[in-house]
Amino acid sequence: MSELFDPLLLGFGVALTPVNVFWCLAGALLGTLIGVLPGIGPVATIAMLLPVTFSLEPVGALIMLAGIYYGAQYGGSTTAILVNMPGESSSVVTCLDGHAMARNGRAGAALAIAALASFFAGTVATLVVALASPAMVRFAQLFQAPEYFSLMAFGLVAAIVLAHGSVAKAVAMTLLGLVLGLVGTDVNSGQLRFTFGIPELSDGIGFVPLAMGLFAIAEIAVQLERHFVRGQSAAIEGLWPTRAELREAAPAAARGTLVGSILGVLPGGGALLSSFAAYTLEKKLSAHPERFGKGAAAGVAAPEAANNAGAQTSFIPMLTLGIPPNAVMALMIGAMSIHGIVPGPQVMTREPALFWGLIASMWVGNLMLVIINLPLIGLWVSLLRVPYRLLYPAILVFCCIGVYGLNNSTFEVALALAFGVLGYVFVKLGCEPAPLLLGFILGPMMEENLRRAMRISRGDPLVFVERPISLALLVLAVLLLVAVLAPSVRRAREKAFVE
Amino acid sequence: MKLSRRHFIAAAGAAAALPGIASAQTFPSRPIRFVVPFPPGGSLDVSARAVADRMTVLLGQTVVVENRPGAGGNVGVDLVAKSAPDGHTIVMGALSTHAVNPHLYAKMPFEPLRDTVAITQVGDVPNILVVGPSVKADTVADLVRLIKANPKGFNYGSGGNGSGGHLAGALFADRIGVPIEHIPYQGGAPQLNALLSGETQFTFDNLANAFPQIEAGKLRPLAVTTPRRSAQVPNVPTMGEAGIAGFDISTWFGIFAPAGTPADIVQKLATASIAALKDPATVERLAKLAVVPVGNTPAEFTAFVRAEHAKYREIVRLSGARVD
Repeated sequence: MSELFDPLLLGFGVALTPVNVFWCLAGALLGTLIGVLPGIGPVATIAMLLPVTFSLEPVGALIMLAGIYYGAQYGGSTTAILVNMPGESSSVVTCLDGHAMARNGRAGAALAIAALASFFAGTVATLVVALASPAMVRFAQLFQAPEYFSLMAFGLVAAIVLAHGSVAKAVAMTLLGLVLGLVGTDVNSGQLRFTFGIPELSDGIGFVPLAMGLFAIAEIAVQLERHFVRGQSAAIEGLWPTRAELREAAPAAARGTLVGSILGVLPGGGALLSSFAAYTLEKKLSAHPERFGKGAAAGVAAPEAANNAGAQTSFIPMLTLGIPPNAVMALMIGAMSIHGIVPGPQVMTREPALFWGLIASMWVGNLMLVIINLPLIGLWVSLLRVPYRLLYPAILVFCCIGVYGLNNSTFEVALALAFGVLGYVFVKLGCEPAPLLLGFILGPMMEENLRRAMRISRGDPLVFVERPISLALLVLAVLLLVAVLAPSVRRAREKAFVE
Repeated sequence: MKLSRRHFIAAAGAAAALPGIASAQTFPSRPIRFVVPFPPGGSLDVSARAVADRMTVLLGQTVVVENRPGAGGNVGVDLVAKSAPDGHTIVMGALSTHAVNPHLYAKMPFEPLRDTVAITQVGDVPNILVVGPSVKADTVADLVRLIKANPKGFNYGSGGNGSGGHLAGALFADRIGVPIEHIPYQGGAPQLNALLSGETQFTFDNLANAFPQIEAGKLRPLAVTTPRRSAQVPNVPTMGEAGIAGFDISTWFGIFAPAGTPADIVQKLATASIAALKDPATVERLAKLAVVPVGNTPAEFTAFVRAEHAKYREIVRLSGARVD
């Protein structure tokens, strides 16, 4: 056991020095703040702070930057729950049930469940990072193009399950997401698709402008329409979850942590994919799937636990392989290079104080976040009383700053506004944007890996069923598809009989 | 005084005309915008920041690094090519934007040789041929033998269509006379992962990206693609030494200003950036990124860029890569 505890003790020794505790707190606070503000995400913030970290000690700098990333996962849920706008892209699903709870007067409970689930996931994920780094890396390397393709196919089927309401609309939205995902340069051929000669489109449509437009801006438009009707005027009954809510949330948080820990390690994974997957899983396992989208505590706990766990375990490939699974980790690698630390497999042995100090700081940071966030719930809830005429323009401004800050591009701000209009139309048509987003993320990855797998197999489609992990995922996808289609087939038949 | 719209327009017009009469005496009169046409965090970006810090001290005006990624660097360079040619807007151009993209893209928003002027080459990152853990080759000759015995079992990965790794691989296949399947990935990190997991068998990666894996013993280096050996991996032969002649591919980058920038301002920028590249602290920061600092004169850099532009016409054609 001492092989685990000695390095962790070393890590806590580093993380608990006053100066590092300070940087951890600074990062966690800043992360919470940018998490609460829609649009401004950890990528933009860390990019802006990179030059500042030049003058810091490397450990302190990395601890602070890491704090921003997982702090944002805490903060992002706050805006999702209170005003139905995801503060971060990874809290998109939290809107569904979190905001429904807020409308039922359970805003405080939803915030508490989100914070506690995140803390639980953060604690477990810290242990996972410490214990399982080498093993998780080996698992991730079993995934090649065919496995990724099958995983994405499974995910797309899940996207349809995720939606409530009409299956036809969910399929349509997923397909629309796929089409939007096609825009840009095709990785395999270098062909430009649907870019209409606009150079900014040659790298595809950005996820942030799309998500901000469909969620935040569309939501503001919808609220403006209901000018005099305060949607959230329901009385706030108590800030703490009831015993029943906790009983529902606890196992969901545990499952969300598991899902997030696994998906965080995969390249392209991390917080976003984890939260979607965890929500889908809960809905499938629940005895009352019809309550999802109407304020189910499990629908808040699972994605919140998953996004935090995924955020933390995505450090595993970065720290142990030197290979970033997402944009935030790419920036962390940049931060390490600035300090002359060559990221890669040798960091764990050559810089043990940095490696374990960073891991220990994650737990310290999570503890701080829950301490910061629980007493502040009252304050966040009082945000609901801020008049919309002040709140919405402010949110709109932050969205624009956040979108602009990504690539310093005004084109993307205009794009976000265009998607805002589209999002408003979707609300009017009763179409859920969540499957669109998942189709948008998974579609291009699925195509890329399908064609890559076919290229490597020299055109033999059997690769997808010859490899066991790929086969298992495909079988699951088919089973899930049957499960979704069956009840709606039944309903359609019953309807036909009535007529 | 009440400022009428007409007055305002006249004043704005005068202000816009000012850059035209900018000269080395007054330059720089305000902060300099240093556009990096790639996302933050890479070795090119970190080098730009290191040079900008030192130039700020030398020029007495802040040099602000601004990332404007998109379209393989074309978005950022295009922005600078169309800015006022007064030296207050400069860009970190690279192999991709100035030598490869013009042959790769069916439609370029700008013409690099015509629309920008070269200031100085900042650095050079050698490419290195590495094989994955499953490939039993210790030399380039071993690898060539294995490929010739079983061409279908070999794929090489790269960071994308038309990337340095793709072009080097295409040149290699052409030199050994065996077509090899190219598998493009989205950037340097995923293609390295694919090599480690055995999805691809070899790659021509830039040294900065591959070095940690080489050092950890996960990937085996066979040769560097420059005429001289690299100080970072002194035991690794060059492609020429390994028996493949005429192989010189490295990822270079340097500072450019919009065409029409007055010669004295170009000289002032060159003097400052060359001095920045001689500063020991900057040299040390670049060395940690596997970047070899260069710092040549505007005339030398211009000639180099022209030669590279001509050389890659043929290599891009060989690779068959195209963006349109």
